[in-house]
Amino acid sequence: MGLLPDEAKRLPPPGIVNRNSVWLGLCGWATGMLHNSLNRRPALKAGVHRQTLFITVGWFIGYHLTKYENYKYATLDRDMNEYIRLHPDEFQEKERRTFAAIVEPFHPIR
Amino acid sequence: MLLGRLLLRTSAVNKMVSRNAYTASKPDPSKPNMLRVGLAFGSTAVLWALLFKQHSTDVHEYKTRNGLE
Repeated sequence: MGLLPDEAKRLPPPGIVNRNSVWLGLCGWATGMLHNSLNRRPALKAGVHRQTLFITVGWFIGYHLTKYENYKYATLDRDMNEYIRLHPDEFQEKERRTFAAIVEPFHPIR
Repeated sequence: MLLGRLLLRTSAVNKMVSRNAYTASKPDPSKPNMLRVGLAFGSTAVLWALLFKQHSTDVHEYKTRNGLE
């Protein structure tokens, strides 16, 4: 992978069907349909080869984009957890009181 | 079908069909350029094959690196 270092291969790879792929595939399809309709051709039925090519390109880019996104979020999580581990005094568990301890006894006056 | 019906509005937006200034004949939809169609479908197939291969490589790498195989 050109943009990803070797450690990114330790992460679970995204599925073939993933959010970015589906969205970019739909964008590619929309581009193909818009291309058809602006050239005064029937939007869905003309140039199916073009539509499938655009969908495929979008899907392909989406898969690699998802891999890159997963790696970026994983590094952020690792840095955050490392910071929490090195600064425990900033992340102390606060003592929690329940409502039963705060609320006064209720004496209805009817 | 409804989507195609909706996109017909663009014929009101764009009434000018442009074409290549260096060719003599109009683009004819009844005679498709089979070379271009073949290349488009061929590159579609190649891209899907690349995608599936890359995915299986990634899954294999993940399993070997984390000792799950």
